[in-house]
Order: sequence, then structure tokens, then C-alpha cells
Amino acid sequence: MNSGLNDNNSTLVAAFRAALLHQGLYVLLIFAILAVAWVSAREWLRPARKPRPTTPEPAWRELLRISFGVIWIFDGLLQAQPDMPAGLPSQVIEPTAASSPIWVQHVVNWAGATWSYHPIQASASAVWIQLGIGVWLIAAPRGTWSRLAGLASVAWGLVVWVFGEAFGGIFAPGLTWLFGAPGAALFYCAAGALIALPERAWRSPRLGRLVLSGMGLFFIGMAVLQAWPGRGFWQGRLHGAQGTLTSMVTSMATTPQPSFISRVVASFGSFTDAHGFAVNLFAVIALAAIGSGLLSAALPEVGLRAPAPWLIRATVIAVIVLCLADWVLIEDFGFFGGLGTDPNSMIPMALVIVAGYLALRPAPAPVAETAAAPEPSEPATAAAEPAAAPRREGWQSQPARLARAFGAAGTGVVVAIWAIAIVILGAAPMALAQANNNASPIIAQAIDGNAAPLDFKAPAFTLTDQNGKQVSLASLRGKVVLLTFLDPVCTNDCPEIAQEFKGADQVLGAKARDVELVAIVANPLYHSVAYTRAFDTQERLANVPNWLYLTGNLAQLRQAWKNYAIAAQILPSGGMIAHTDVAYVIDRSGYTRNELDFDPGPGSASSESSFSVELTQTAEQLLRSS
Amino acid sequence: MRGARTATGAVMAVACLLLAGCGSKPAPSASPPKPPAPPPLATSFASTGGASWTVVQMGGSATDENNFWQLFLRPAATGTWRQVTPLGVADNGGLVVASSGTGSLVTAFRPSQLLTYTPLAASTDNGADWSSAGPLNGSLASAADALAAGPGGQLMALTSGGTKAELGQRLGATWTRLVTTSSLNATPAGRACEVTGLTAAAFSGGTPLLAASCGRPGVAGIFADTGGSWHAAGPPVPGDTVDVLGLASSGTGLVALLRATSGSSASIIAAWYSGGRWTLSSPLRIGAGKLASTAVGPGGSVGVTWNGTKAATLAGPGAAWRALPALPKSAATLALGAPVEVITANGQTFREYQLASGTWSLAQTVHVQIPYGSSG
Repeated sequence: MNSGLNDNNSTLVAAFRAALLHQGLYVLLIFAILAVAWVSAREWLRPARKPRPTTPEPAWRELLRISFGVIWIFDGLLQAQPDMPAGLPSQVIEPTAASSPIWVQHVVNWAGATWSYHPIQASASAVWIQLGIGVWLIAAPRGTWSRLAGLASVAWGLVVWVFGEAFGGIFAPGLTWLFGAPGAALFYCAAGALIALPERAWRSPRLGRLVLSGMGLFFIGMAVLQAWPGRGFWQGRLHGAQGTLTSMVTSMATTPQPSFISRVVASFGSFTDAHGFAVNLFAVIALAAIGSGLLSAALPEVGLRAPAPWLIRATVIAVIVLCLADWVLIEDFGFFGGLGTDPNSMIPMALVIVAGYLALRPAPAPVAETAAAPEPSEPATAAAEPAAAPRREGWQSQPARLARAFGAAGTGVVVAIWAIAIVILGAAPMALAQANNNASPIIAQAIDGNAAPLDFKAPAFTLTDQNGKQVSLASLRGKVVLLTFLDPVCTNDCPEIAQEFKGADQVLGAKARDVELVAIVANPLYHSVAYTRAFDTQERLANVPNWLYLTGNLAQLRQAWKNYAIAAQILPSGGMIAHTDVAYVIDRSGYTRNELDFDPGPGSASSESSFSVELTQTAEQLLRSS
Repeated sequence: MRGARTATGAVMAVACLLLAGCGSKPAPSASPPKPPAPPPLATSFASTGGASWTVVQMGGSATDENNFWQLFLRPAATGTWRQVTPLGVADNGGLVVASSGTGSLVTAFRPSQLLTYTPLAASTDNGADWSSAGPLNGSLASAADALAAGPGGQLMALTSGGTKAELGQRLGATWTRLVTTSSLNATPAGRACEVTGLTAAAFSGGTPLLAASCGRPGVAGIFADTGGSWHAAGPPVPGDTVDVLGLASSGTGLVALLRATSGSSASIIAAWYSGGRWTLSSPLRIGAGKLASTAVGPGGSVGVTWNGTKAATLAGPGAAWRALPALPKSAATLALGAPVEVITANGQTFREYQLASGTWSLAQTVHVQIPYGSSG
């Protein structure tokens, strides 16, 4: 009864792999088409590349672009872990929001519900969107394409920060820098925003000062929060229980991971248990000192003398050391355990600070880009093309111009276009899934397996419906019958199955006129019409026109159970009746065509909807075939 | 002839109750009423013929879904306890039992999980056989006396968290709304009490009686329905806010268990109605203790347990509270008689201890098969 859905459910894992493989082939196909089109455009149109002045990409931007590109790709690969479809909402998204205010939980659970309704589409989408953004960032070093990649990083980073990280936990009472506040994805957004800045912003050290001083303020704020009494950080052990930091580190050490890492983290957990005050004191001092050092970068902005370069350099080195220590000892790398979605916040945070440090040096002056030399074999054609262009002005010349521009583009642009296509390939199914209120049937199939095909004449019955009228199976001929067996005083499975049947009726819409939803009582003790009626009232089925809840005397019921292989066992005192959870699909001519194992699963909204859709699809198949 | 005398007696009793209620003067209004802690479900009671019944929770699992309530019967004072829980419905929401006479019993299964109405089972042979009856639409309130059975087969049930009372003329008949806390508060008797919730139901003869928690101090919320109107019938309990924890017919009269609360400190008071007047016991101070069970025995005897190990009994009107030795581990409820017994329920084991020479002695052990995981 009521089996749940394991994270590594084989049906979901297989479907996820198949979806990734399927979409991966599309990705390769798009790449092949782009490559062929690009080479063809270059060969046939021989476009000349226009020289234009450009500023060489500064080191800070290159660092952000490449490193965050790599991180996005890494995150995309983490999203491809087999446990993601089933595990992410229940094991990551909802627990992350659990300690946040209720409105945060509502926002986050909304996204979790979308994921739960369409686990395969959502998981695959996340993979491709993140891979696409990563490739896009790396492939496009300059220009509009590159800035758009930065904006894409901001946009998706915000989605992840809000829905995946519950706003990085900033509204939760346990907010602390040590655990990764304000969330890794917020640094993805920050990096994306810096990458998206126009070139004129590169030329002044002001950008670096602003980044460093902003981070300085953040560190000082985190130091104050870390020093705040009563949050359990000053004690390694509190009232006999583990203190906040000890508890966090100890739980991280239990994450499935290589044993030597687990031992290191567990050792640090024991250390904080014994020296909680000293550890927190060190954290507070380190955060405050680093914050002050970073904040000093802004002194020239307020008319004061810039700090000595060594001070900023030393502070940045301290940041890197502290972040790495936190990443290893407290965050435990962040990506182990089969449901890690990213390497957590320390690496992105350190990268943003290092980029801010590099940005203190002004960018090099603009230089002219060298024009592409025409192809030596056919110089005349290449030279003639621009001359011919004026004759093709207007809308008719647009495709040719586009093709020429495409041919003239560098490999970076072509790869960027490919990356955008990957992002779209990922985003489109997610958008479609979001628009669909009905869950994917894969959840029901993952819980109970696929419908078993049958082909035998459905055993006849004549029973009494909830209104006291006699109903026979023969009287339902001409309709597809969805038949199940329910205990009217069952406390869990049967109400859920009833709701799944009711849901199927709603999904069927107008087609429901040709479908009869039938349940037969599966309790040998409580089977009077008063109980079927009470059950209907409870489940709001009384007004569903094609719903029949049938009962009869014990002999009639036992015959029906026997004919449909239903076991109804009386359990020891206090327990309900144990009975078979099953649904039969009977076609218009009275033949049983499918048997669905109908243990209703965890009873979540997504699993209920999924079972309804599975029933609907099976019924629709029979409606079409007859 | 015997029936006529019973009816006359019942009418007289109700008339006296009404007079007693009318005579009580409402105390001045106090702070806004807050919902009191519901009365405990674990209980024991004696039915005519010397049989004793007890309802205890068993299983002991960390999840409520795996704690199944069980009904036990001891047919006579000298007999042994046996399990008589009805089959066929998950009873992890709680059991409430009402007795209407010798061997005639109705058990209600408080709904749990997704079940929202209350299945009923009836027995006329001391629980040997049960047949399905009812059901009662809506969720029975969580109180040991939330269901009452009258001598004429009527049933009364408190539903919707003690905000409504329903009346059924007989088993299986349609239930009709008797009263709600709102409609009761619209009557002079209700206003005098400021009813915050209904806590017990009983019949006196054929007259429905309801008990309640009052928001107004000094009033014990007991109401009698005569001719469709509700009248105050409870005793005055000066000073404190009073909840009626239990209400039962006892021979020729009534016995009620009251909880008088003053600040964070509570006292238990027993009240007997007989011969047209209420008799109140001295208060039993339980402080901030959490009441765990109530028991009503022969001759108007009452007992309570609280804080797991503490218990006291009262032999009847005019007697004083008698503190009992520390109860054995997992004590569920007392069973009153001679000697006084305590029932313990731990996992699958039901034990009866008897009080002898100031100590508890194990008298019987019953192993019960708990249907873990069977409520889904």
C-alpha cells in the first residue's frame, strides 16, 4: 500500500537517460547543420570580415566568462545525475525552503510542483539550459553575443537562486556565510551581470573598486551575523545537542562521497564540537578583517588615498584561502551525494572577488581588428560580392545578407549560436511542461509499472449503485469502463484512487460521456449503500455523472472479487481491510483490455494527476480504436 | 410498569436538572475564551450488569498512523479482560464507545488520514459480534464521551471538533443537527456559559444532555434539551474556568468530571447529580499536569491519571480523593472497582495491575496483534 517513489526509480532513470540521449542527438544534429551551413556560407559567399576597433577583453572578464562557463557546464553535468528527476524537489528544493518563511515556501513549492509534475522534462531542460549557457559564455569572448551570454547567466541564475536555493536562504533564520549564504546562484548572476556590462565599463578601475567594496560590505555584514549571540554558532555543543555549525558539518560528513573526504569533514565536525567558540571566533574575525580589507578598495571613491596594493592582494589571498577551507571543511564540496546541483557558493564567490581585484587595473586601449584576408584562390569573386550588394537592397536581400554575415562570423559566434540553440532546446520543453496542468504519466508508471494488456470478456456483475439502483456491466455496453475496487472506510489509498478517477474524468473532458467510472466495494464488513454514499460525499463524487460506486450483499461482492482476482483480507483488530489496488479498463464491447496496478503512490498532487493521466490515456486509446 | 416508572423518574430528573440550572447565577464576563485542551480519549467505564470496558491506545509507534486504539471488555468484576475491538476499519484516529444498556454497545471510529466521516459498529452481545452501523457524517470529536446512546436507541454525537451535536433516532437512521456552539450561545444558557466547545454527550432518560467548556468563569457547561430548547443544568463552580471532561449516566443520576482552571493551574472536580441536586467533590489539584485518562466506575466512582504516573480515585459522592501509588510504566487508564486497577498499554502488550497493599501487582497480560502499516 502507498509505495513511494525512490530517487533512483529505474523507470524514471531510464526515461531520463532516454530523454537526454534523444535531446543529445538533436544537439549534435543542430551542431552538424550549423557547421555545414557555416562552411558552405564561407565557401560559396566568400564574405569579407570587416575590421573594427575593439578593446581586448580584460583579464577579469575573461576569468569570469571562462570560469563561470566551466561552472555552468559542470552544473549541467551534475543535473544529469540519475537521481535528479525524482529527488530534486523532495530532497533538495523543498528541504532548502523548509526553514524559510511560508511565502518563500509557497514560491519554492510552486517550482517544486512543476518539477514533480514533469520530472523528466524539467530535469533534461535544466541539463541543456546550463550546458548551453556554459558553452555560450566560453565561446563568445566579446560583443553582443558575449553580453547576451552574461544576461542569460543572470536570468537562469535568478531562476535557480529563487526556486532551487529558496533565495539562497537569506530569509531563513540560520543564515550564515559558512553555509553558503547568500547562495551560489546569486554569484552566477553577479558574474553574468559583470560580463554583460558594455565595453566602456571596462576602462576604469572603478568597477573593481565597486565589486571589492560591495563584497567587503557583504563580508562585514556576515561577520556581524556570525557574531550574533543566540544562534547556536558560539557553542560546539548546546544543551547536550550539537551546536548549529557542528550539526551542519556532521550531517555533511554523512553525504555519500569518497571516504577520505568524509573523514576529513567528520574530523572538522569533531573539532567544532570540542572548540565551537574558537572556531566561531576565528570565523567572525576572519570575515570582519576580510570585509574591512575589501572595503578599503573604495577609499579613492570617497576622495581618500588608495590602500597599499599589498593590502588588497593579501586580502584577496585570504579570501581564497578562507573560501577554499570553507568549501572543503563545511560545504563538503557541495556536489556529492547524487543530488548535488553545483559546487556551492565559495568558488563562485572567490572568483567574483578575484575578478574585482583584476578589474582594479584599467583595460588595454582599443586596437583595430585585422581584416580577414580574401581567399587567395578566388580573389575576384570575393571582391565582386560587396559590389553586387547595392543591387539587392530591400527585404529580398535579407537572407543573402544574413547568410553572408553568418559566413563572415568567427567560430566563436557559430558555437555561441549552437549554445543558444541548446538553451532553447532545453527551455522549450520546460515552458510547455509549465503550461500543462496535468502531470506526466511517467510518475504513475514509475510507481506501479506499465499497464498490462489483457483480452478477455469482462466478468458480468449486477450490483447496486450509490442511489440504490441496480446496475449491470451489460448495461454499460457501448462505453469504456474504468473499473476499480474501493473500501468506503479506507483511510488512505481508496480516497486517493477515487480522486485519481475523478481527475481522469476531468482530463477526459467531453470524452467522459463515453467513459464510465465504476468502483465496487472491497470491504466485507462495511458495504451498505449508506457507506458508498458517505464515501461519495467525502470524495465529492456525488455530482460526477458517470461515477458509479457499486455494492451488494456479501455473496454478490465475493463473486465480483473472485471474478476480478481481488483479495479483501480482514486484518487484526484496529486495522483496515487489506485489498488489491487495481484498475481494469473494459472496452465498449465488454472486453477487458488493460490492467493497471493502482497502488496510488505517495498521494502527492503530482502522483494523483499522473495516475489520472495514465487512466485517461488508456481510455482514450480504447475510444479511438473502437 | 417498570418502563413507566423509569420514564417518570427521567422526567423528574430533568425537571430537577432544569431547576438546578436556572438557579445558578452566571458569573461576570472575563477575558475572551480560549479553546481548552480536549478531554483524553483513554478511558474506562462500567456498564450495567457489572461489565467493565476500557479504550486504550496501543502500538507505541512514533507515527500516529501506527498507533491503533483497542477496546477491551471484562464481562464481570471477577473475570479477565479480553480484546473486543471491532474489525474492518482503521482505528488509528481513536475509538469512542457508548453503552446504552446491558451488552448493547456502539463504537465509533474517529476518522484518520483521508477518511473524513465516522464509521460506526454496533454489538448487542458484549462485543462478541459487531455489525456495521451508520455512518456518522463528519468527524467525531476527540473526547471519550463524544458519543452517547440513549435507552430508546437514540444516538447523540459531537462532531467537527466539538462545534456541532448530531442526533440519530436509531442506528442507521439519518442524523439531524441538534445544536451548534453558535446556536447554543444564542440561548440564555449558552450566553451564561460562553460555550467554547462541546466536550461530552449523555442521555438522562430520553433527554439529551450536552457538556461544554465555558469561557465564563464559575459555570459548568451542562445543558439539557427539553422540548427543543436548551437550558443550563450544570452546578456552579465559583471562581474558575470550567471544562466538563466527561458526563455519564450513573444509576439514578449523573456523574460529571470537571476541570477547573485558574491561570496555569488546574483541579479536577467530580460532580454527582442525584435527587435534584448536585454534589461536588473537593478539588484535586493537578497543577499544570496533563490529564491522560478518565474513568467512571460503579456507584459513581471516578478516577483520573495525569502526567504518566500520577492517579487518584474517588469512591463516590461525599468521599475524598485518594491518591494512588505511582503508576507502572505505560499506564493508560484506571479501571475502577474492587480492587482498583490500572491498565498499561505498551506496543502489543496490554497489562492489568491490581492495587493490593499499597502496591501494583500484575494480574493479567494480553498480547494484541497490532496491524502496523495497515491504515494505508
